[in-house]
Amino acid sequence: MTPAPPAAAPAPASDSSSELRIARLEGQVAALEAALERRSRELQVLQRLLCPRDLVQWARVAAGLPPLPQIAYEPGYWHETRELTVADVPATLEALWYSLHPERPSGPAGPAGPLRTSR
Amino acid sequence: MSGPRITLIVLAWNQWQLTERCLETLAATDLEGAEVVVVDNGSTDETPERLQGIPWVRTLRLPSNAGFVRGNNAGIAAAAPGSDVVLLNNDLEFTQRDWMRRLAACAHSAPDVGVVGCRMVLPDGRLLHAGTYIMPDTLWGQQVGSLERDVGQHAGIEEVEGIVFACAYIRREVLDAIGPLALDFESYFEDTDFCLRARHAGWKTLLCGEVTLIHDEHGSTRGDDRALMELFQGSREIFRRKWQRELDGRYRCQLLWQSIMNFPTGYAMSCRELLRALDEQGVRTVYRYVYGPKTVFPPVEPEASGDYRLNVIRGRAKPRSPQVSVVYGQGDVFARNQGRRKIGFTMLEVDGFPRQWVEQANRMDEVWVPSEFNRRGFLDSGLKRPIHVVPLGVDVRYFNPRIASFSNPAGEYVFLALFEWGERKEPGLLLRAFNDEFGAHEPVRLLCKVINRDPGVRVKEEIRRLRLRAAGGRVAYLFNLEFPHYQLGALYRSADAFVSVSHGEGWNMPLMEAMACGLPTIATDWGAHQEFVHPGNAYPLRVRKVVPARAKCPYYDGFRWADPDPEHLRFLLRHLYEHRDEARARGQAAAREMAARWTWEAAAERIIARLSAMGALPASAAGRDLPASGALPALPVNDALPASGASPARQAGGAATAV
Repeated sequence: MTPAPPAAAPAPASDSSSELRIARLEGQVAALEAALERRSRELQVLQRLLCPRDLVQWARVAAGLPPLPQIAYEPGYWHETRELTVADVPATLEALWYSLHPERPSGPAGPAGPLRTSR
Repeated sequence: MSGPRITLIVLAWNQWQLTERCLETLAATDLEGAEVVVVDNGSTDETPERLQGIPWVRTLRLPSNAGFVRGNNAGIAAAAPGSDVVLLNNDLEFTQRDWMRRLAACAHSAPDVGVVGCRMVLPDGRLLHAGTYIMPDTLWGQQVGSLERDVGQHAGIEEVEGIVFACAYIRREVLDAIGPLALDFESYFEDTDFCLRARHAGWKTLLCGEVTLIHDEHGSTRGDDRALMELFQGSREIFRRKWQRELDGRYRCQLLWQSIMNFPTGYAMSCRELLRALDEQGVRTVYRYVYGPKTVFPPVEPEASGDYRLNVIRGRAKPRSPQVSVVYGQGDVFARNQGRRKIGFTMLEVDGFPRQWVEQANRMDEVWVPSEFNRRGFLDSGLKRPIHVVPLGVDVRYFNPRIASFSNPAGEYVFLALFEWGERKEPGLLLRAFNDEFGAHEPVRLLCKVINRDPGVRVKEEIRRLRLRAAGGRVAYLFNLEFPHYQLGALYRSADAFVSVSHGEGWNMPLMEAMACGLPTIATDWGAHQEFVHPGNAYPLRVRKVVPARAKCPYYDGFRWADPDPEHLRFLLRHLYEHRDEARARGQAAAREMAARWTWEAAAERIIARLSAMGALPASAAGRDLPASGALPALPVNDALPASGASPARQAGGAATAV
C-alpha cells in the first residue's frame, strides 16, 4: 500500500471562503489517509496471526455475510486431524448446502453436533 | 364407509389438558365409520365435566381408577358389537389425517394379521416406538427405535414381536378368540402378553410404519417413578411365570460368536447385524471379543454397544465347552476359535489370502466367505477345508427409498462417494475423472465423505497434488465426520448417484446400502461385490487389467487387484448425469433386489442352513442344552424406569397411562 503523505499544513488565514473550504477538505483527506494506514496495519497483523479459515470467517462477518459452517467442506480450511467428529446427517447436509449456496433463503440449523450413535 | 366397524377407545385419568389435546387432534382426522369412546378412569379433575361438553364422544365413566388393563377392558366391553377396536392413550397427538384408515387396511391386509401398531415419536421428533421385543434373559421389554432421530426408518410394514398399547389396532376376531387384556397385570406387560397370546392363536402383530403419532410418553403418570417401578416389577414377575419357558424355547441352538462389535469397523458393523438377525431367528448367540492384547488388534473392546439386544448377547455366560464357534474376523485370529466345531468367517479385498490365514483356516472344520470371489481366492491360496459362500446383507428398514432426503436445494446433480483415503480406494482416480469430465459451470457436484486415520497421510496435501482444475467439476468434502450408522440412509438419499471406485472390495457395504436406498451406482467390475452387482441393477466400471496390489496393508503382499479404467469412469459419470431417468430406474431395480434377496434375515438363514447341514443345529432342539432361566436377574442400574425418555433401555411393557 502506498504510504500516506504527511498531514497537510494548516491553511493560511484568509478571508476567502473557497480557500478555507480547500483547507478543510485537505485536512479530511489527511485524516482519512491516516485512518486507512492504521487499518492497513491492523489487517496485516490479522493476516499474519489468523489461520486462513478464521480470516475468511472474520472477513465474511465484517462484510455482513453469514459465517461459514463449523465444518469445513474445502480442503483449504480443514484442520487436518486424525480424530473423527460425531455429526448428524441432516444438520451437516443443511449446513453444507447453505455454505455452497449462501444466497438461498434457508439458513443452517446450526453446527452439526453430536447425536446418539446407538440404535 | 366400506371398511370394518371401528371403536376408538381413549383411556383417560386426570390431566385434562392431555385428553383435550388428544381429542382435538383426533377430531381433525378422518374418523368416518368409527365411534370414539373415552373411558374416564375415575378422574378427579375437570375431565368428567369437560367430556360432557363433547357431543361426538361417548364417555364411559368408571367410579375409580381401575388401572390400565381394566380401564381398557371396560372400553372393549363397551365397544360396538362386532367392531374392531383401537386402544389409544390420552397422551397421543394426531397429525396424520388418514392414520385410522391406514391401520385398518394393514390389519385387514391378510387373514392372519391380528394386532397392528404404528410408529410413535416424542414431541421433539425422536423415534420412540417402532415395535417391541423382549429378551428371555432379562424380560425387560424394549421399544425398537431407541430415540433415534427420525429419518424415516421403519416406515414400511413389518412383522414385530409386539407393540406398545399406547396405540393398538385389534381385530375383532382376535378379541373373540383370546379375549381382552389379561387381568394378570394391572399395568405393564399386558401388551406384550396380549401379542404373545395372539401369536399362540395364530395371529401376527404388525408395525404399520406408514402411520406416525406423537406420544408424550407417560404424560399421565410423570413424576411417580417409585410407584411405577413397583408396579413394573410386580408385572414382570407375573410375566416371567407365564412366559419364561415359552420365550426360552424360541431358541433352536446355541452358538459362540467370536468377533468384534464395539469399534467403528466393517467387521464390527456387520457382526452386530448378524447377531441381531441370528437372535431373532432362534439362534442363541453368545458373543466374545476375538481381538485384544496379543492379537493383531490389541485394544480392549468397550463394553457398551448402545444396543440393548447386543448388550444382553454380550453379557451371556460362555459355555465351558462350546459345541460350535464362529470366528468372524481376519483370518489371522481363526486360531482363537474356542468351539469343538470350528468355523472361520472372513473376507479380503484381493485375489488371494495370506499364508498365515490359510494355515489357520486349514485348522477349521469349515470356512465361510461372503462371496464367490473370495471362495476362489482361498482355494487358489491352498485352502484344504470345505468352504462355503455366506453372503452379508443390508437392513432395509434403514436403507430404502423412503428414507428422508436432505437434498441440495440448488438442484445440482450430486454424486456421492464414501471412502477411507488410501491406496485401495485410490481417490485420485475418481477426483480427477470427475474434475476432468465436468466443468465448474455445470450444475453437478461430487460429494466425498472422506475418512483418514493414518497419521502418515496428509489428505489436504494429497488433494493439492492432484491439481484439480478450478474450471473443472466441483468437489465438496465431508472430512473425518462420523455419522450414526442409522442415519447413513439419509446421506445416500440426499444424493442422486453413488460412485464406488476401488481396486478391490471384500464386500462393499456402503455400495449395498446405497443400492438399497435406490441410488444408481457406479462400481468397479471386480471384487466381492460382484456377488450382488450386475448391469441390471448398477453400472459396472470396466477394469483394464488385474495388477499387483501395492499398499501399506501387509495382507495384500503378493496378490493382485483391479485397475479400473478412468476413461470408462468419465463416460459413466457423464452417462448418469445425462440419462437420469434410465439411471433412476436402475437404482429402483437395485432397491427392489436388495430388499428381496440381500437382507440380514436372508444372511442369517444361510448361516442357519449351513449350521444345520454340518450337523451343528439339531433339527428339533427347542430349548435343549440351553441354560434354563431361573429367577429374574437384577435390573442394571441404568435401567431405572425412564421418566421422560432419557434411558437408552426403553421399557415396553405397557404405556403407563391411567394407572
